[in-house]
Amino acid sequence: MIRSEKLIKKYGQGELELTVLKSIDFEIKDGDFIAIIGPSGAGKSTLLYQLSLLDLPTSGEIYFNGVATSTLNEAEKTAIRLNELGYVFQDYALLPELRAAENVALPMLMQGMSRDEAIRRAEVSLDKIGILDKKNNVPSQLSGGQQQRVSIARAIAHNPHILFADEPTANLDSGNARLVIDTFKKLNEEGQTIVMVTHEIEYANKAKRVITLKDGIIVSDHKPVS
Amino acid sequence: MKKLILLKTEFQNAIRVGWFLAFRQIKRSGKGTTTLIIFIMVLTFLNLVVVSGLLVGLISGSFKQFRESYSGDVIVTTLPGRDYIDHSPELISFLNNHPKVTAISPRYGISATVLASLTTLPKKNERANAIGARIVGIDPELEENVTDFSKFIIAGEPLNTEESGGILIGANLIKKYSSFADANIPGLDLLNDVDVGQKVRLTYATKSGNKVIKEFFVKGIVQSKVDQISTRMFILDNELKDLLPVNQSQYQEIAIKTDPLFASRLVKEIENYIGLDSARVQTSEEAIPSFLRDVEATFSILGNALSSIALVVAAITVFIVVFINAVTKRKFIGIMKGIGISPMAIQFSYILQAIFYGIVGSAIGLFLTFGVMRPFFDAHPINFPFSDGILVATAAGAGIRVVILLTVTFFAGYLPAKFIVQKNTLDSILGR
Repeated sequence: MIRSEKLIKKYGQGELELTVLKSIDFEIKDGDFIAIIGPSGAGKSTLLYQLSLLDLPTSGEIYFNGVATSTLNEAEKTAIRLNELGYVFQDYALLPELRAAENVALPMLMQGMSRDEAIRRAEVSLDKIGILDKKNNVPSQLSGGQQQRVSIARAIAHNPHILFADEPTANLDSGNARLVIDTFKKLNEEGQTIVMVTHEIEYANKAKRVITLKDGIIVSDHKPVS
Repeated sequence: MKKLILLKTEFQNAIRVGWFLAFRQIKRSGKGTTTLIIFIMVLTFLNLVVVSGLLVGLISGSFKQFRESYSGDVIVTTLPGRDYIDHSPELISFLNNHPKVTAISPRYGISATVLASLTTLPKKNERANAIGARIVGIDPELEENVTDFSKFIIAGEPLNTEESGGILIGANLIKKYSSFADANIPGLDLLNDVDVGQKVRLTYATKSGNKVIKEFFVKGIVQSKVDQISTRMFILDNELKDLLPVNQSQYQEIAIKTDPLFASRLVKEIENYIGLDSARVQTSEEAIPSFLRDVEATFSILGNALSSIALVVAAITVFIVVFINAVTKRKFIGIMKGIGISPMAIQFSYILQAIFYGIVGSAIGLFLTFGVMRPFFDAHPINFPFSDGILVATAAGAGIRVVILLTVTFFAGYLPAKFIVQKNTLDSILGR
């Protein structure tokens, strides 16, 4: 589904140049639940941004369904992000002026769905995550855990091929964090492909594959320790 | 073709999402901020319409007074070098029978000397307390119908056909009342110690060189911002005609009141009736002195210049407001781009918000202009030395300014939004 080849990402120039990803070869397959772990500065989030087409690699290639993404223009990448990918950000990233259901419905409206249908499907998604009763609340009326669940509902409502999550539990207490990870696990069991960055081994071990990054290099790619 | 359809769909979706976002952002943004932005837009609109409107209104006020106080809607005057309007009696008869003419006031004027101190002689090296002035004969009732003449009386009483021997003196001819009294202008003679009830002696030299002398008592003082009132003296028409050896049935001015929209047609009808070589026939607007037109043109240019500055200020204001709004929401703009919302939809939401502020600001501005300020200035004109200033604001002029303001608002909303949307998506999300 997504494959990277000799993926390199550098920041800065000259003496300040820093190579964060060093020739990463990596593949995400349908139905995967991948946890990317590693120490701070290992390049976990950077790898996620490259794979999810939010950033451009310095060199190397990312193939999405066999298409080299370096050949796509910004509009085409935006269309892929809209139709094929879902995102869960560390700080929830909900739009403050929109109610929970409206936040979830937004990508579907952009896809061309009618407002009523988008809201209906948003409610289905919120129900699936167990937070339908908060559909009319704006983000400021929700707790961190509730906001993150709304964020997950938004990421899955339009049935993306891959769900990317960047440290989704970082800002949550352990109870809410476990709830989020259990939700991911359940979604994956239903067929949702998930790529998650985390620094918590406990949560990483809920995934099907655990990839460990260190100094921009994949040092291990294995099944979780039970 | 397929690409075109795709583009059209994308455009439609972008507009839908832009509208969805804009509506909610306006609805759920802070009321204080929204009120402040709308307040700025209202001030901007008023700056565009009212400042230039008041400038032009100072002159338009004098045009209005010229029409209401002197000329009527149409005025017939003698041709240059002539003593009177040819065929005056026939013309008056024509006008009296014209269905569209509501009132006329024929006037005849002579140049005469008016001596104010009748009992004392001037000392050595002292000029007589006299002044040369235009003496105009009027029929008080007819004049009242056209110009509401009695409202100009600031002391004494108006003329009365039942009472002969009275004279009304323009305020600018009397030292006590003239606004030029302190100016010490060389050659400007004003009458000293003249007031209501006193006698003055009028001396008129006929064409044959004979002098006609008659005494009048000052019945009243008239004052207006129209010179034709404040610098003239007025006596009863039949008394003036008694002073004349000739031209007793002729007139020099005929002020005509009619439907203002009919004025131009009436001018043509009068010209056809008496011929072009009999008199000068003009609408009130045509009869306005050319220097006033020049002042109007200058004020209009000045007003437009000020409006242009106001427009630039408005554009910068909206730009800053939208820019700050977009900068503070840069992270959310990044997130929207990240989850696949097209840049066009995001830009459209900001444009819509800017236009919303422009429309609401303009609507309130229109209400204040036409519902509050214009009626206020009509009722309480600005006391300008040569006119009563009003607020000139037309629906067409205001409409053009609304369109200009909305156009400027559109670009002032679009440019900062585009600037922020163009930033790297990830940098926006991560706030770097």
